[in-house]
Amino acid sequence: MVTADTCIHCKLPIPPGDLVVDDIDGQELHFCCHGCQGVYRVINGAGLGKFYQQRDWHQEGVPEGVFDTAFDEALLEGHVVSRNETSAEIALIIEGIRCASCVWLLEKLINKVQGVEMIRVNYGTHRAQIRFNPKETTPKEIFTSISRLGYLPHPYTSGAAQRAAAKEQRSLLIRFGTAAFLSMQVMGFSFALYGGYFHGIDPAIRETIQYFAAAVTTPVVFYSGWPFFAGAWRSIRNKAPSMDLLITLGVMTAYSYSIYSMFTGGEVYFDTAAMIITLILLGRLFEGSARNRSISGIDKLLQLAPDSANLMTGEDIQVVASTSLKPGDLILIRPGERIPVDGRIHEGKTELDEATISGEPMPVLRQQGDTVLAGTLNLSSSIQLQVKKVAAESFIARMALMVEEAQNRKAPIQSLADKVATLFVPFVTLTAAGTWLFWFLNDVQSTAALLNAVSVLIVACPCALGLATPTAVLVASGNAATRGILFRGGDILEMTARVGTIAFDKTGTLTLGKPSVEKIITAPGQSEESLLRIASQVENGSSHPIARGIIDRAKAAGIHIGPTSSVETVLGRGLRMACSEGEILVGSLAFLEECDVEIPAVESGSLTEVYVSLAGLWMGTLLIVDPLREEAASAVEQLQQIGLRTVLLTGDRLATAQEVSSKLAISDFHSNLNPADKTEWIRAHQKAGEKIMMVGDGINDAPALSLADVGCAMAGGTDIALETSDLVLTRANLGRLYEAIYIARKTLLVIKQNLFWAFAYNLITIPLAASGNLAPVWAALTMASSSVIVVSNSLRLGRVIRHTFSVAKA
Amino acid sequence: MLKSIIILIILSLCIGTGAWLFFIWTVKRGDFDDIEGPKYRMLDDDDDQDSQGEKHEE
Repeated sequence: MVTADTCIHCKLPIPPGDLVVDDIDGQELHFCCHGCQGVYRVINGAGLGKFYQQRDWHQEGVPEGVFDTAFDEALLEGHVVSRNETSAEIALIIEGIRCASCVWLLEKLINKVQGVEMIRVNYGTHRAQIRFNPKETTPKEIFTSISRLGYLPHPYTSGAAQRAAAKEQRSLLIRFGTAAFLSMQVMGFSFALYGGYFHGIDPAIRETIQYFAAAVTTPVVFYSGWPFFAGAWRSIRNKAPSMDLLITLGVMTAYSYSIYSMFTGGEVYFDTAAMIITLILLGRLFEGSARNRSISGIDKLLQLAPDSANLMTGEDIQVVASTSLKPGDLILIRPGERIPVDGRIHEGKTELDEATISGEPMPVLRQQGDTVLAGTLNLSSSIQLQVKKVAAESFIARMALMVEEAQNRKAPIQSLADKVATLFVPFVTLTAAGTWLFWFLNDVQSTAALLNAVSVLIVACPCALGLATPTAVLVASGNAATRGILFRGGDILEMTARVGTIAFDKTGTLTLGKPSVEKIITAPGQSEESLLRIASQVENGSSHPIARGIIDRAKAAGIHIGPTSSVETVLGRGLRMACSEGEILVGSLAFLEECDVEIPAVESGSLTEVYVSLAGLWMGTLLIVDPLREEAASAVEQLQQIGLRTVLLTGDRLATAQEVSSKLAISDFHSNLNPADKTEWIRAHQKAGEKIMMVGDGINDAPALSLADVGCAMAGGTDIALETSDLVLTRANLGRLYEAIYIARKTLLVIKQNLFWAFAYNLITIPLAASGNLAPVWAALTMASSSVIVVSNSLRLGRVIRHTFSVAKA
Repeated sequence: MLKSIIILIILSLCIGTGAWLFFIWTVKRGDFDDIEGPKYRMLDDDDDQDSQGEKHEE
């Protein structure tokens, strides 16, 4: 993959004069400079040349400057778990992992650190477990090596809730594995018994087989089926019949009746009891795997506030744990660092990235006396901060608390299967009672009446009930995933289908979140090109989002950006640079007017203006806007067409909100909202009975995303938004939102059909049971046929989804 | 007849129990905890011996 014009290491175009050609491993490779060549040799020399085939550069990394963080030895020691004298372990979360090659690079290179015995990085959760020899290395050294690679490690001790969730998933797996293994045995025995039912069997053999069947079914019922019994008990106490109750009713009657008839020479239904439990556990396993992620969203949120701070005591600067800071302490925040606790600027001024609060990408100027909040990022210069609140009460901790509260308050979604069960349980019990009454009045033998009533209970519990929802969910979420739509669980699919209102965040969701030049106004006699050239020359090297927008525009216009010499930044106002033709000023109207530049009135509407002057003469004005996503208007229209209400919730100004909502024909908008306001709005409308989906991307949306009935985040959003949401669009395209809702609605329909078939087949056997003609084969037959119907109906759903969207594409 | 059936059933249960214990062991070992990673790790087929050897050249 050697191309002549780009550097093999940094992939930048090689200026013709600078070409460096090297011959490595018999390959002629081109570099843009000796630095890249050197780095390539180091990486290749370590046997890691594969990095170049696996890397993927299209995502931005962690913010600049954070790698300078020094790791506090004492802080890390607290997280080390000692095993013995020469072996210890530490768990950490590594920020900045984007793809499989990150995991690969980390594992390979950290393994080479002296004293590290084992490192395992979990690709899904970004957690790593490192075992090392404390005599040869220290956690600090390991952390420093990781951050030298360009990743940001955080010590991590898993919370109790998380360990419990992981343990529960494991125990579910073991319960299912046990049930599956034993059910296979039961089915073997049952086939022998079915054969005996039709062709006759030696009573002694029949009895023996029945004993074995009873022996293997017992653990299935009492061990694997335990969660259902617990659920049934809860549902009785809450006086709300649930699916668990229906399952318990069916399983327990089938099991105890079989035990009874085993000793009295009747037919046994052990296979029914075992299969119901196995299939329903299988369904739960399908659904449960992607559930634990929201907890780590809170972890990630808390990590935004750094663990350590630079405490200033007199002339000394000391690195201390953030939690030890007290109100009144003075701390130093360097550029590139995040602010650890809420405070007030004591000295200095700087620009802060406050996206955590407002969601807006534009930096905000903060100076002496201003209040700044934890988790915001210092962009331009060092400031001294007077601590106002301790870490546990700071903004980030309050946000994490809000997310946690929202997640706890969010009522578990009652699945359709449970709703059906609430109707079905009383129906079945009444039928059973009626059967008993009928036979009791018409039959002399009272045991026969009881037996018939019991058979009704046995056949009424549909095995396919356990498969009805999970198979549809599995097929739908699998197909959705190939289209870049990830549903976190079946209940989310069901809920998405019922959503009536969609609330959008603005920046980064409806808009691209990247300012760009919308319009160029030039002074008479100036060309757009020369204006862009001057502006981009000054802005080059600035990391301000507006500067990047201007540079992108200049590059797109094919302008060669000249060398930048000593640019002076006037914080919050603009930039100043001297060149051969005079002084260039780029910045706000006020900034240029202060410098005595005469500027005519410019019609800008709600756009941001950037004025440019050369040698005291106005050259022109660039109008900057955060452009709407191309597909935003059509996506909103599509959503409105299928009967959804759309609302805009933004932290931005009223004028911008107004303009965006009128451009997209969004009926309702609310501006100037902070994270708490957004959740408040959602809570108020949920109380009114609305089902709300929130679409957002920022850290400030996290509480709203977790509170909404369905929280939806798109690729390119912050990790925290992605982790606190229920629905993730892995391609940043709003059109997928419509597809997601379409798929969810179709799935709900299929689930309804499945439930209908699951119950319909069992309803057929109820008359058989009530009339006293139920043989185990009939129970087994309905069980099998309803399961087959349900599974094939779910598979049909996959075809429908594929067909609809492949046609739509063509 | 009856005796042979009983022996065969018990034998099959023993084999099954072996597989079941193996399954429990794998779950407890955490083999099912990260089901995403291994499919990528599998693709990294570089052997450690090579890279160990080149370590001195750094």
